[in-house]
Amino acid sequence: MILVIAEQKDGKLNRASIETIAAAQQLSMPIKIAVAGQNVASVATELAQYGEVITVDHAALAHYTPDAFVQALQQVVSQTSPALVLLPHTYQTRDFSPTLATRLDRALITDVIGVKAPSTGSGQAAAPTFSRPMFQGKLTADVQPQGPAPHFITIQIGAFRADAATKAAAAAAVSSASITIDEAKLRQKAEAPFQEAKQAVDLSQAERIVSVGRGIKSQENIAVAEQLAKAFGAELAASRPICDNGWLPMERQIGSSGQTVAPKLYVALGISGAIQHLVGMKGSRTIVAINKDADAPIFEVADYGIQGDLFELAPAIIAELQK
Amino acid sequence: MAERETLEVDVLIVGGGPAGLSAALRLAQVQKAPHEGKLGEPLSIAVIEKAPDAGRHQLSGALLDPSTLTDLIPDFASKGAPLGTPVDNDNIYFLTEQSKFRLPITPPPFQNHGNHIISLSAFTKWLAAQVEAEGIDLFWGFPGQHVLYEGDRRVVGVRTGDRGIGKDGQPKGAFEPGADIRAKVTIFADGVRGHLTKQLYRDLQIGSRSEPAQFAIGIKELWDIPKERLKPGTVIHTLGYPLREEEFGGSWLYAMGDGRISIGFVVGLEYKDPLFDPHAAFQHFKRHPFISSILEGGTLVRYGAKALPEGGWNTQPKLYVDGALIVGDAANFVNSMRLKGIHLAMRSGMLAAETAFDAIRAGDTSSKQLGFYKAAVDASAIRTELHPVRSVHQAFGAGLVAGSAAAGLAMFSKGALLPDLPGHDGHKQMRMIESYYGLAKRDFLVPSNAAPIDRKLTFDKVTGAHYSGTHHDENQPVHLLVQTDVCHSICGSEYGHPCVKFCPANVYEMVDNGAGGLRLQINASNCVHCKTCDIMDPYGVITWVAPEGGEGPSYDGM
Repeated sequence: MILVIAEQKDGKLNRASIETIAAAQQLSMPIKIAVAGQNVASVATELAQYGEVITVDHAALAHYTPDAFVQALQQVVSQTSPALVLLPHTYQTRDFSPTLATRLDRALITDVIGVKAPSTGSGQAAAPTFSRPMFQGKLTADVQPQGPAPHFITIQIGAFRADAATKAAAAAAVSSASITIDEAKLRQKAEAPFQEAKQAVDLSQAERIVSVGRGIKSQENIAVAEQLAKAFGAELAASRPICDNGWLPMERQIGSSGQTVAPKLYVALGISGAIQHLVGMKGSRTIVAINKDADAPIFEVADYGIQGDLFELAPAIIAELQK
Repeated sequence: MAERETLEVDVLIVGGGPAGLSAALRLAQVQKAPHEGKLGEPLSIAVIEKAPDAGRHQLSGALLDPSTLTDLIPDFASKGAPLGTPVDNDNIYFLTEQSKFRLPITPPPFQNHGNHIISLSAFTKWLAAQVEAEGIDLFWGFPGQHVLYEGDRRVVGVRTGDRGIGKDGQPKGAFEPGADIRAKVTIFADGVRGHLTKQLYRDLQIGSRSEPAQFAIGIKELWDIPKERLKPGTVIHTLGYPLREEEFGGSWLYAMGDGRISIGFVVGLEYKDPLFDPHAAFQHFKRHPFISSILEGGTLVRYGAKALPEGGWNTQPKLYVDGALIVGDAANFVNSMRLKGIHLAMRSGMLAAETAFDAIRAGDTSSKQLGFYKAAVDASAIRTELHPVRSVHQAFGAGLVAGSAAAGLAMFSKGALLPDLPGHDGHKQMRMIESYYGLAKRDFLVPSNAAPIDRKLTFDKVTGAHYSGTHHDENQPVHLLVQTDVCHSICGSEYGHPCVKFCPANVYEMVDNGAGGLRLQINASNCVHCKTCDIMDPYGVITWVAPEGGEGPSYDGM
């Protein structure tokens, strides 16, 4: 049995949870889904479309703390005895999963981008294989967990498609795990969450990004990049000068003083490729650069480079995409 | 909203460089010595520093004259002082565009036998550990932002910078107001062109009786080259190319061992050509056949820049005021002839600590009592070393030949034959475009000495800023205050936007304002805290203030 630990916040399911379910389904094993928090009934109903749900409901889980989550999930894992525990590779998972795996003295494989069900018929005890990137995505390693079950696996966001997860004909059962939390052992106490700045977009979640740089020349021209992003179904991002000018909000800035992203497609529009920008996006799977300066350093990291005027090229690309 | 905290201490030391840390350590030492048979109450001592960690904002060549270290920490060797590589051989060359001429003798100021090639960052880290071992509180990541006064003239401490202010000046979620650290004696060790010492210049006129301070900018890189290329301990200095007769400066190249070299270029911040670019001069220097043959096939490891005080003895400000003392680079204690100041910074820190201690024990921290520090400096090796060469840098104002003659005169007469020469503010030496270039049209945004960038040997400033490891949160107020309109109105036609050239980290950029003109864009997050802009802008309108605590370059190994 595979236990998928879904993630929710304030009754809203993190979509990476469904991607993790999609990954679990490829392993052809029964699936149970656990979701922790307080008042998670509506999330449980949503998850029940994919399989049996176990709610882990406790006041101490209302706001995330690693100690409370580790305590609660350790009990759930012990009670359900899964062969594998799959988690979405979110910030929250990254925070508590090493502790959880260590507490149980079990293997943890992180940031997995591919799963392979064990091939039947071989003489060895069959174990699934997991692929994960190494050396900033330059290599992919196939890894098999060792030691006794359960094995903990975290699934990279965007590696599996949420819409590939199959729903059952009828909603499965929802049960509630009986857990106790020793509040004396909670070393953190969560204050009410606050947000420093309104974060409208999480670029690290984007599969495709169109990023615009100084070559765009004026604020009015940002529309050109917006249209290109729309045509690609991509998020719009920018290099530092654009955000510094206030042409796009700061949370869309890519680079050493902004966000680091690794989308499947990164289109750099009029970005020269200062090293500060490159460190924020060089892990992207495919980089397309459009720049009128053939010597621009962006071409050194680009998989596809077009030397030319972005104001001619962007409309042409949009027209081509719309065909 | 959070309340402003107040902390009371006996001695506050502002700045965790060699001067400030030496002061802290000396205080710990003197209070351990019994006075009239008994120990007094231990003093409360605090050191504040804007860097997030010891040594992170420390940059120098550096050659260490170990004389002060021997006095401050006699057992420095057994305490593991990172003295790097002893100097093995001295070489001084005059460069022309394609050739080099070795000076037949190495002039005494350039003789470095007995000195050590060190990483000032590593050395400072070690010094900080010695201070911490004495139980003194070092507050990393806390920049002083304002001098606190009582009445008009008495310094009573420093207010540290606020944290968590947004770009728009409004508090963000995690706002924390700066703390008031109040002290009986405040020792300003805030380095070259210290922004708090600058407030003392303004508020207490501490410079009114001294010659104008003189500065230079030093741009430094660390490189890894094939190990066998230079013998560890090799010291090379050059004069000449790519500087012209009218520019003061030169280079250093030190082999630190294990293939690591420190290479850098110094240019006096009194150059006349408004379109001159010190960073470009450094790139030309690296392209010189002699230098490129050393660097070829190597890799750039780190980049940084820092201004340095060059004016010498006669430019020291008034060193003591009611409640405060000034030490180190902030007091311009650098011997520009020997290219050394670390030992002088440490010495001044020690002397200031002794004076501060006596003043607190005496219950009198007025300027009268603290004036003993000046007397101690005058009786110390600082004066012995700096006074004879007091006018050498000023003489270079009349050109390389006159300057060299003055240097020789000062050297052989121990200063007796060289009169006190007046100095002039460096930024006022810059000439206007029309006076320098006449009326011929040219692109003011391109340096007059622009250098080709190949990204192997030469790098642009933005790449340099990356290799400095500098980091600043974008969502904070710009820490370079330019509250004027001259950038857009007259600077272009008068000086051709020299900030774009003298800044070594591409902080200042003139960009299209969308209406056919230019507007100043300040890329504050690139700043490497060198202070050159605060010094060299011809209108004197740029004020460097501390960004949020802990931010800035990361000079590990520098």
